[in-house]
Amino acid sequence: MEHVIEVRELAKSFGNKVALKSISFDVKKGETIGFLGPSGSGKTTTIKILTAQLHPTAGEASVFGEPLEKLKDPSYMRRIGILTDNSGLYERLTIFDNLALYCDLYGISKKSSDEVLEVVNLQHDKNTPVQKLSKGMKQRVTLARAIVHKPDLLFLDEPTSALDPVNTKHIHEGLKQLNREGTTIFLTTHDMHEAEEMCDRVAFLHNGEIKLFDTPQKLRTRYGSSSVTVTLKGDQVVTVPKDEQGAEEIYRYMKDGQLAAIHSNEPTLGDIFVQLTGRNL
Amino acid sequence: MMQFSIRRVNAIFRKDWKDLMKNSYIIFTLAFPLIFAAWIGRMGSEDPAFQTFPIHFALVIAGAFVQAAMVAEEKEKNTLRGLMLSPASTAEILVGKSALTAVSTLVVVIGSILLAEYKVPSPPLFILSILLGLVLFVTIGTILGLLSRTVMETTIVGMPVLVIFGMGSMFKAMTDNEMIIKAVDYLPSEQLNMIWMELDREMNISGTIDNILILLAWVVVSFVIAVFVYGKRRFD
Ligand SMILES: Nc1ncnc2c1ncn2[C@@H]1O[C@H](COP(=O)(O)OP(=O)(O)OP(=O)(O)O)[C@@H](O)[C@H]1O
Ligand SMILES: [Mg+2]
Repeated sequence: MEHVIEVRELAKSFGNKVALKSISFDVKKGETIGFLGPSGSGKTTTIKILTAQLHPTAGEASVFGEPLEKLKDPSYMRRIGILTDNSGLYERLTIFDNLALYCDLYGISKKSSDEVLEVVNLQHDKNTPVQKLSKGMKQRVTLARAIVHKPDLLFLDEPTSALDPVNTKHIHEGLKQLNREGTTIFLTTHDMHEAEEMCDRVAFLHNGEIKLFDTPQKLRTRYGSSSVTVTLKGDQVVTVPKDEQGAEEIYRYMKDGQLAAIHSNEPTLGDIFVQLTGRNL
Repeated sequence: MMQFSIRRVNAIFRKDWKDLMKNSYIIFTLAFPLIFAAWIGRMGSEDPAFQTFPIHFALVIAGAFVQAAMVAEEKEKNTLRGLMLSPASTAEILVGKSALTAVSTLVVVIGSILLAEYKVPSPPLFILSILLGLVLFVTIGTILGLLSRTVMETTIVGMPVLVIFGMGSMFKAMTDNEMIIKAVDYLPSEQLNMIWMELDREMNISGTIDNILILLAWVVVSFVIAVFVYGKRRFD
């Protein structure tokens, strides 16, 4: 399987402040991977290094099989889309004019901006100047700009942090569609649901290190609990082990008509993160 | 080989044009040298040293200052980063980002000449000197814009530089220090003055060659500095 991103013992310090201790990982072509981690864990730093906006202190990384220095080359920039918290828009220009500039820079038809405005649900506001938009709308315009050229590799730094659930869902659908068409996606998020919904694999970043890197399902089974919680009529709650004895117990409750609900105690990615690091996201 | 496509330069130019139409601060700044030139014209002086003063002013304000403000705004609003992370090359971005200022400065310079009622001697050479000055001051503006973090900062960072480069000639009258006088002689504004005075007297090329070469050297040096500073700005 072809690797779009390869990272080996990458480290980054700002003065004596360590942002990334040493991280290694690969991203396969067509994957959506998520970096999860609390504020300050190094998510944005990783994206900035991989898009040649920051020099690493140590270690190596390649994108599309080329070392990072090559990334400054326009032919690579054409294949990449980037959304970060410092992606700026031209405030006095309309949404459409902002996107039209990028269509011209990428050498693609301006029709693409209409298409992409539908993905971010802004098709009715295209002639509004950006300075009149809400925070979430601006974030959607920046996202539209990052995907207008259907990049091979898309970096998204907290793409839906300012969005409501309806728009988030709409954008997730759009991104999944893009992914089906072949775009590899690297996203960072605080949002566990987003990670579970979108990502083939997630990495837990904590204190500049990757604590875990696996599929959401595998992580859940590995950190899954060995018991289920049974709620009985009358709101009594009992914990029952997932073994033969537990099965008999549950059978009894059901037979006696006492059972109200069973909860599998499956951990969320958030629970796993807390177990792993002792910290909340 | 660095990629250079007129299409991308043009895209940045058109974007800047649309933006300018909605930017009253820049439009007002561009109008400022014209008001000054009209005032000089009203005085009715025939002295070329006096009549060409609005041209210097136009180059400094419309060329360097406006350019610095426009580049600094792209930095302040993080839009320059967006351009750098697009397929546009360094050359395309720097040229595209200078194109609108160059055109509008040219308009302001022509307007200033007309309003100051200056009679242009030897048009071809005069135009050459104006073009060199134009490129130089726009490039100086680019450097100042890249060095400032915000539009406000360009006034602080830019003022001393622009006073020296635009009005350095005036220092000659204020000092006896040989070193300073010698240094001022090499400033671009002095080169432009010498060319224009020479043209006014003789209207021939030979007397102005040295000055044109010195101006050219300024252009090359400022270009190199601009590209260098720009390269640093890609990284945080
Ligand atoms: N330019 C910088 N100069 C100094 N320190 C920095 C710089 N950029 C990041 N850091 C530090 O590096 C660490 C990682 O920062 P980073 O922005 O990568 O975190 P993050 O995971 O993206 O956090 P958040 O979820 O808040 O966006 C932080 O401790 C931060 O203070
Ligand atoms: Mg971040």
